[in-house]
Amino acid sequence: MTWKTTLAATTIAVALLSGGAAWAAAPAAYDITPDLIAAAKKDGTVVWYTATDLTVAEKLAAEFEAEYPGVKVQVERSGSERVFQRIGQEQMSGIHNADIIETSDAVNFIYFKQQGWLEPAVPKIVADEWPDDQKDPDGQFAAYRAHLSVMAYRTDLLKDVEPPKTWEDLLKPEYKGRMVKAHPGYSGTIMTATGVLSNLLGWEWFEKLGQQDVMQVQSSTEPPKKLAEGERAIQVDGNEYNIFRLQDQGVPVQIVYPPEGTPIAIGNAGILKDAPHPDAAKLYYAYLYSTKAQQLNSDFGGLRSFNPDVQEKEGRTPLSQIKLLESDPSELIKQVQTIKQKYEQYFGT
Amino acid sequence: MSFLELDGLVKAYGALTVVKGVDLAVDRGTLVCLLGPSGCGKTTTLRLIAGFANASGGEVRVGGEVVSSASRNVPPEDRNMSMIFQSYALWPHMTVFQNVAYGLKLRRLPATEIKERVGRILESTHLGPLAGRYPSELSGGQQQRVSLARALVVEPQILLLDEPLSNLDANLREEMRFEIRRLHDQFRYTTVYVTHDQSEAMTTADLIVVMNAGRIEQCGTPEDIYERPETEFVARFIGGTNILKGRSDGSDTVVCADGVVLRCGSGRVSPGGETAVSIRHHDIRIGTTPPAGDGSNQASGVVERQIYLGSHRDYLVKLSGGERVRAVAPVNVAIPVGQQVWLHFPPEHCRALTH
Amino acid sequence: MTDAVLMPERVRRIDVSVPVFVLLALGLGVLVILPLFWLVWYSVHEDAGGFTLGNFVQLVTDDTMLRAYGIAIAMAAGVGVLSCLLATPLAWLVARTDLPGRRAIRALVTASFVTPPFLGAIAWELLAAPNSGIINVLYRTLFGLPRSDSLFNIYTFPGLVFVIGCFTYPFVFTLVANAFDRVPGDLEDASAILGGRAATTLWRVTLPLVLPSMLAGTLIAVLQALTMFGSPAILALPAGFHVITTKIWSLFQFPPQLGLAAAAAMPLLVITVLLLRGQKAILGRRGYTVLGGKSGAPRIVALGAWRWPAFAFALFVLCLTVIFPYLALLKTALVPNAGDALTPSTITLSHFHFVLFDFSATRLALYNTFVLGFLSATTVAVVAMIVAYIATRKLVRGAGILGMLATAPVAIPGIVLGVGLFLSYANPTFQLYGTIWILLIAFVTIELPAGYQQISSAFHGVHPELEEASRILGASRLKTLWLITSPMLRTSVVAAWCFVFVGTIRELSATILLTTANTKLVSVIIYDLNESGDMGAICVLGLILLVVSFLVVFAVNRMPVLGGGGSVSTTRG
Repeated sequence: MTWKTTLAATTIAVALLSGGAAWAAAPAAYDITPDLIAAAKKDGTVVWYTATDLTVAEKLAAEFEAEYPGVKVQVERSGSERVFQRIGQEQMSGIHNADIIETSDAVNFIYFKQQGWLEPAVPKIVADEWPDDQKDPDGQFAAYRAHLSVMAYRTDLLKDVEPPKTWEDLLKPEYKGRMVKAHPGYSGTIMTATGVLSNLLGWEWFEKLGQQDVMQVQSSTEPPKKLAEGERAIQVDGNEYNIFRLQDQGVPVQIVYPPEGTPIAIGNAGILKDAPHPDAAKLYYAYLYSTKAQQLNSDFGGLRSFNPDVQEKEGRTPLSQIKLLESDPSELIKQVQTIKQKYEQYFGT
Repeated sequence: MSFLELDGLVKAYGALTVVKGVDLAVDRGTLVCLLGPSGCGKTTTLRLIAGFANASGGEVRVGGEVVSSASRNVPPEDRNMSMIFQSYALWPHMTVFQNVAYGLKLRRLPATEIKERVGRILESTHLGPLAGRYPSELSGGQQQRVSLARALVVEPQILLLDEPLSNLDANLREEMRFEIRRLHDQFRYTTVYVTHDQSEAMTTADLIVVMNAGRIEQCGTPEDIYERPETEFVARFIGGTNILKGRSDGSDTVVCADGVVLRCGSGRVSPGGETAVSIRHHDIRIGTTPPAGDGSNQASGVVERQIYLGSHRDYLVKLSGGERVRAVAPVNVAIPVGQQVWLHFPPEHCRALTH
Repeated sequence: MTDAVLMPERVRRIDVSVPVFVLLALGLGVLVILPLFWLVWYSVHEDAGGFTLGNFVQLVTDDTMLRAYGIAIAMAAGVGVLSCLLATPLAWLVARTDLPGRRAIRALVTASFVTPPFLGAIAWELLAAPNSGIINVLYRTLFGLPRSDSLFNIYTFPGLVFVIGCFTYPFVFTLVANAFDRVPGDLEDASAILGGRAATTLWRVTLPLVLPSMLAGTLIAVLQALTMFGSPAILALPAGFHVITTKIWSLFQFPPQLGLAAAAAMPLLVITVLLLRGQKAILGRRGYTVLGGKSGAPRIVALGAWRWPAFAFALFVLCLTVIFPYLALLKTALVPNAGDALTPSTITLSHFHFVLFDFSATRLALYNTFVLGFLSATTVAVVAMIVAYIATRKLVRGAGILGMLATAPVAIPGIVLGVGLFLSYANPTFQLYGTIWILLIAFVTIELPAGYQQISSAFHGVHPELEEASRILGASRLKTLWLITSPMLRTSVVAAWCFVFVGTIRELSATILLTTANTKLVSVIIYDLNESGDMGAICVLGLILLVVSFLVVFAVNRMPVLGGGGSVSTTRG
């Protein structure tokens, strides 16, 4: 069976699933034990396919290696859709390189689960602390991180005009040629955001935005970097956590949370079946949700966490004060093709 | 039994047959020249002997053993021959010494012996002082000598030469002819030499094989070939000649188209059929008065061209029948263009050819 | 007469040329035909496996697809013209005038061939992004202009044409400069004697003589541009358009449309074949070929007062194509953010530290890249040598087929080959996807034509009599190949090896579809880093890539074993 036919079958299956199938129970939660650590050391390496910003991912990996010497983390970072494409190509070719997969596109995990690519595993902290709607009832994945796709601008480069406050503001002529935007074909975050924004504002909004001479980049980590370089003054979308990190570095950037709402993307993680290093994978997987790792994600990476013990940094707007636009992945998966088609129509790529 | 034998040798490339059944026997120690115009199959024959080309039919035997036939081809490296090429084929990345020593190294001779043998052959070929040079640092003649030395040093059973002098200029070519003959007299290898230059063949060969269109026309000593050509082709190709055509009644007399009657001192006539008579340029006597005699072996004509060449004069005479005859005369026989002359063809120099 | 020294007895050898020929023909056949077969198969089959022309219908009715083709063709044409305009005057200046430093200029242009196109595109992003680009920042600072003004905008169609042109003009340059070298002085003298002034002679005699090379080079540049993935992938997306290669690549996104991707690759294949035929037709026209070696060395034109303006022009071209891009890479590697100015207080080695120590992919990718470079270059050199030997010496009936098979992949653009190889080898039967072998197959297939052409022309330069002389003296065919032929081919083989090695490192279009986490290459991680905008890390990696490539090429040329030490000429004296 080719990959393509599998995909077609899955789309149907996913539709059936959302109708409500019988769920198996999640496996018993596990904790990090000396036995697990010893077994992980035998594996020696853990391969992590991630869509988290590279420096954040590498830092987390380095912390882990310091804590559990003898277990190396191989970080494979790409945009969510590249990670998805890669894992798809590999699984269909019977290649099992990856231990843990993590993307910012919740749709991906519906697909992975349906394919039976994920190995159920529930770290104790996830079982105890995570809200029920942020973990798979079968224990195949859980929300590793969440982040917003935000509008933001360089305060120093936008002195001549009033900064935008709402999504509609972005269509004003004074912002023409000054905006940068990431691409839904490459970024799961932006796919999610485009889905909810098209529902909220309609495609006409995108059509008009398309005439604003917007610089198009790929990953949602890239617009903040274009702001940092000074290449553009406003990002239409892009990761909130990158903006936090720029602010920490002293770059004059300001986030806008429009009253209509800001899209949120849930980044899940899961262990793959047939993982080449199963024990190291379990150890690292548990580590990913630990308060220490989640706190590091928050402090250094600017990511939002579902771990209630994580303390948000001073000066960041708490999630509770932001109107969030949440997306239903099982709805979104049906719209993917339309979104890409419309997008190319309005933005050229 | 001869040492090298070609027996009905045939080589065809697809529909094109370039060697059409060549038979030849070469005795040990003789130098045979394959002579002929380009495209006559002589080089192909040489390459068949060397083993570079596979025979389509017939055999090549060396010392009674078949080395080439349609079903069997001993590779060149196992034939214990050596060859001198038109391009010399000296290896540019090796010195003179290394080029010459190559064949001996392949034969796994001890280094001291290699050195000694190479030294000796370089001496014989006057190359001693040049041993350390690269081929690109040598003149054409020197390169030719290296090529000779390289072929001779392995003491081959058979030595093959493919137009070895055609890349040299005229003076050097003449000198090298004698050099090749000298070396042959010294070493007496069984040698097959391919050339299109008849004087080269004359100088060097014990036996000349004239080839034409894939076949042997005639085989013999240089004197045989020159004095007693069997065919019109051989007569024309070797030394240059006049051919007059006529009919014979079966006796030694040939009557040509314009009434010229030639009595032939040698050769064969085909009774009742067309016969060609060959008479060499310098065997014709030219004069302003009719020669004495019975009127045979003579003709009259008009001088069309006369060239002074220092040692002799070269005449082109148009006979009354329209044919043109070339004659060579001593310088003191000076006849201006346009004058009527008489030509005398001495019977002992008239050779009748059947084809 | 002394006794003949007979050859030592040896075992009767079996002639291996026929089995080798059959094996090679089969191997090359599979290499070339299999990916094309799957490409065609996928393009005419629907998901369920039934025959369909739907993909082709979609190809010709889908506006985005047609637009991508249209833009790609326009871009390629623009690149062709630009390359020709840059390369021809420069080639004339270095080949036929007393331009100062012309040898160095020639070497630099040829060296710029080492720059991977994607790296060049990134460098120009740093130089000429409309707001943050170094050139635009300098321009605004110098003239005190507001932020909205910019001198160049690289994220445009002309910008893309310019960047690709910068990296394709060496193809035209090399061909044209060599042609100028070969125009004999007496042809020009003949014109001068008839009263032609220098300019007239150049225009009426010299230029027409190099015109075929110009056209042929331009076609190569057009072909390069049309099938290039690296530069458009980096510049076309921000500019808001697709070219055909990036469009095909986007068809691999979720959900992948393999059939459409295969169908979309077909016209590219056809155009490539047509362009190559055109090039062959132009170069094959005998009437233009300047024959005869002894007709006088090329005459050098004294530029006089024009010396320095001409030098300025050459320097300008070099700045655009080599100097500025490399400086931009270096500068960005040394500052914290791409937009920062380089001052003693901002200078930092943090990107170097990150790439060399923190970034876990670096070592694996460098290792893979160079191992694959070595393997591909060596495989291509060996295969090309054997094929060239069999084909030029006509060892076997039908040996010409081998030559054709070895040249055929030139007609398959990298991205098309990537799709074809993915379809052929990613299925569970072969299990090659995810190993470096699939990449090796891809690189060998892509680079074989170039390697083969270089080595086979070198073989043509070795007179067969040189080999025959060795054989008649007692060396077998293999021994002759080893002792006589290969030493004379050394220079060409080393050159071909380096060419393939560099080509492998530059490759992105087929690579991008075929790498996995364990087989990633530097070109792919640079592409991935670009996606997330990590410019500093990209520049560090790019510089490492360039430096190591130069070192390898330099070292290979210097190895005494490979004939680097001596200066033995390979032509017969």
